[in-house]
Amino acid sequence: MNALLDNVDRLALWVLWTSLSIVGVMAAIVIAGRLALLAHDRRVRRLRRAWDPAIERALQGDTKARETLARSPSRDRLELARFLIFPLVDDRRPDRIAATRDIIRVMSLIPLADRWLRSHRWWRRIPALQSFGLLQMAERAPQIVAALDDGNADVRSAALDALADLKDPATLKAIVVRLHDTSLQRGRRAAALTAFGPQCEGFLIDLARVDPEHRLNYAKALSVCGTARSRPSLCDWTSDTRAPARAAAFEALARIGLDDRAAGLAIAALDSDDVQERAMAAAALSGWTAVGDEAAQLARHLGDAWPVAVRAAHTLRTMGSAGRAALESCAARADQAGELARQMLWEVEAGV
Amino acid sequence: MTLTIAVAVFTTIVTAYFVLWNAWQFVMGGTASRFVWRYQWRRNIRSRALVARLASPPLVSIVVPARNESLTIVESIRALLALEYEAREIIVVNDGSSDDTLAVLQRTFRLIAAPLATGQPLKTAEVRGIYRSIDEPDLVVIDKVSAGSKADASNAGINVASGTLFLNMDADTMLEPDALSRGILPFLEDPTTVAAGGYVAIANGARVEGARVVDAGMPRSWLARFQIVEYMRSFLLFRLACASHNAVTIVSGAFGLFRRDAVIEVGGFSHDAIGEDFDLTLRLQRHFRAARRPARIAFVPVPVCWTQAPEDLPSLKAQRTRWRRGLLQTLWRFRGVVGNPRYGVVGMIVLPSTLFFEGVGPLLETAGYLVATVAFFVGILNWSHYKVLLATSILLGAATTLLAIFLSDLTARRYLRGRDLALLCLAAVLENFGYRQLNAWWGCVGTVQALTGKGGWGPMKRRAFTPIDTQ
Repeated sequence: MNALLDNVDRLALWVLWTSLSIVGVMAAIVIAGRLALLAHDRRVRRLRRAWDPAIERALQGDTKARETLARSPSRDRLELARFLIFPLVDDRRPDRIAATRDIIRVMSLIPLADRWLRSHRWWRRIPALQSFGLLQMAERAPQIVAALDDGNADVRSAALDALADLKDPATLKAIVVRLHDTSLQRGRRAAALTAFGPQCEGFLIDLARVDPEHRLNYAKALSVCGTARSRPSLCDWTSDTRAPARAAAFEALARIGLDDRAAGLAIAALDSDDVQERAMAAAALSGWTAVGDEAAQLARHLGDAWPVAVRAAHTLRTMGSAGRAALESCAARADQAGELARQMLWEVEAGV
Repeated sequence: MTLTIAVAVFTTIVTAYFVLWNAWQFVMGGTASRFVWRYQWRRNIRSRALVARLASPPLVSIVVPARNESLTIVESIRALLALEYEAREIIVVNDGSSDDTLAVLQRTFRLIAAPLATGQPLKTAEVRGIYRSIDEPDLVVIDKVSAGSKADASNAGINVASGTLFLNMDADTMLEPDALSRGILPFLEDPTTVAAGGYVAIANGARVEGARVVDAGMPRSWLARFQIVEYMRSFLLFRLACASHNAVTIVSGAFGLFRRDAVIEVGGFSHDAIGEDFDLTLRLQRHFRAARRPARIAFVPVPVCWTQAPEDLPSLKAQRTRWRRGLLQTLWRFRGVVGNPRYGVVGMIVLPSTLFFEGVGPLLETAGYLVATVAFFVGILNWSHYKVLLATSILLGAATTLLAIFLSDLTARRYLRGRDLALLCLAAVLENFGYRQLNAWWGCVGTVQALTGKGGWGPMKRRAFTPIDTQ
């Protein structure tokens, strides 16, 4: 019994010392972390004071300032590269990008970025990709495209960001063919398409022709970057057998705008069995002011399912006098149609 | 002799609980640290710029339930109107205030009664009027009869919301300027995201200008200091660890971004839930997991908003007993999920651990103190072992808090002054002498209230945001 108690006592003491050591280690980590943060902040401030004037001059084309930066101590170069590259996230002026790229080159940092891009550590590959994109280094496009198939999801996202920043038409196909790749982040795909704008349109339409299976995705992409050129294809897709694809086609048409054929299709789709399709057809008619009974037809949908009704109401607001007359004819009603009509009329009056 | 055996058995149970609890804390600490480390690399300056690169970022409806908030509501709304994210509308729900909240809003923002049709997918108490601002087109105010719950007010806001996403928050919550830009990133990245929570920090002691925290500092009140380290542990250890396995079970009522259609699909906030945020998050988890539909509930580990913590004991007691009732009610409601493999990590790990450590923990701890006291007076307390247990408990608790402080330094970079760090570390130790025991006791009081059906919202002292709040 005594031996057991002795063991328990020894164990208790051991537990106590272990706990004390853990606290000591954690306290050391917190203090070391704080000191590292403070030291880093102080270093950044010091480097800013010392190098900001030279960076500014170098960006304005001063060759002496560039040479000064090229001779900067190698231990400071990464931080200086951050000072140069980070502003490019918001400032996308081509002259600024070109000047920064030249400075980074003379600072001999490109080989380092290349090494990082080949690194087996994903957290090295990410900044390398982002730098190549922000600096618009078109000659690195193949490596960036290859990174779209990287094993790490965050690296793939960084590659997509880099391609959006690069805006190299040669890489467009690589983005478009990965439209259905769900391993790439949806928001980043949309941002990349937005960056290229109508340049994507031709590829999308061509691909959709040979790949009708993924029409839904192409229609969604065209709603981001489509122009009037896409309208005939989108009109064709409104007769797709799948309701989500038809709805997506009308959604894209709502962004692009209608012609007579598209308007006729949208009016006809108001009688679809699918709520989403009816809603998108109602939205597509926004701003349509041709003289027909479109407004009256839309007004009938103010009492429809909520997603349809609310879009019909907003569209009527944009249809000029015909829309206003249709809204006024419903305003006295006590039901959902009346409520929506009164809201829209009030908003028109208030200029909201 | 019987008493000695009973005490020995109880001591063994408490020791086993203590070992499990600390092991659990270390597992969560490790998981959370890994999450933060990855997050630091993923969320760099370029990835945060995604929102600015989109042609049409999603519209976010900010739903602000307000009940007797006339002191702070104007500053809060002004801060919301000044958010960096522009695709937003603000829906203030005046939930039957007995003060002049509505009048203050009408006067300040020149509100006029306006027709506003709503789909009414969620049932709420009667809406007396809807107002829109002449000056601020993005501001809508709903005046409704109170149903006695924030849930009902939030549902009224959701009915009116036209955004695909809505932010549920408290009227006294102060958002960071980039809160929405950060909060919507999980939705943009992953279309299966149905909700996203964020790190809610404590504003007491902070310098506040125009309902914005401009400098975080330690408050003078020790109660508030204890809550700061408590929030750090809760948000930066437990929730991050859960988030890394898509098993978040609570998106705080102070800041929660939700996909509107998903919330409507599960019936909105529950009117009779005491912890409506906990209840809604678990309903989302249960609904989508049961239907085998992919759904993600994300967590943003940086401070997205600031909230006032109670600094007086009655307010704190009211809050803690309410949280306790909410916890027990929710665990009871979701008892079918606990231990059910159909619900994955949530059913098999997170909820059972919540039940064990948060549900049973305070009862066991209080009983432990009582048994130790009785054993001491009877003369059968093994004093040396008790001291070791107590000291180890304090030390390991402090180590966990230090880890949370370290993670806070990495993600938030607040409380960076040396004095603040010293106070945080001191709070991590001192909370074990009184505060922790009080919390355990309030846990027992809350349990009794839950079992007897007693207890209400309780007192909560509010303070106005002064131009520069350096309390």
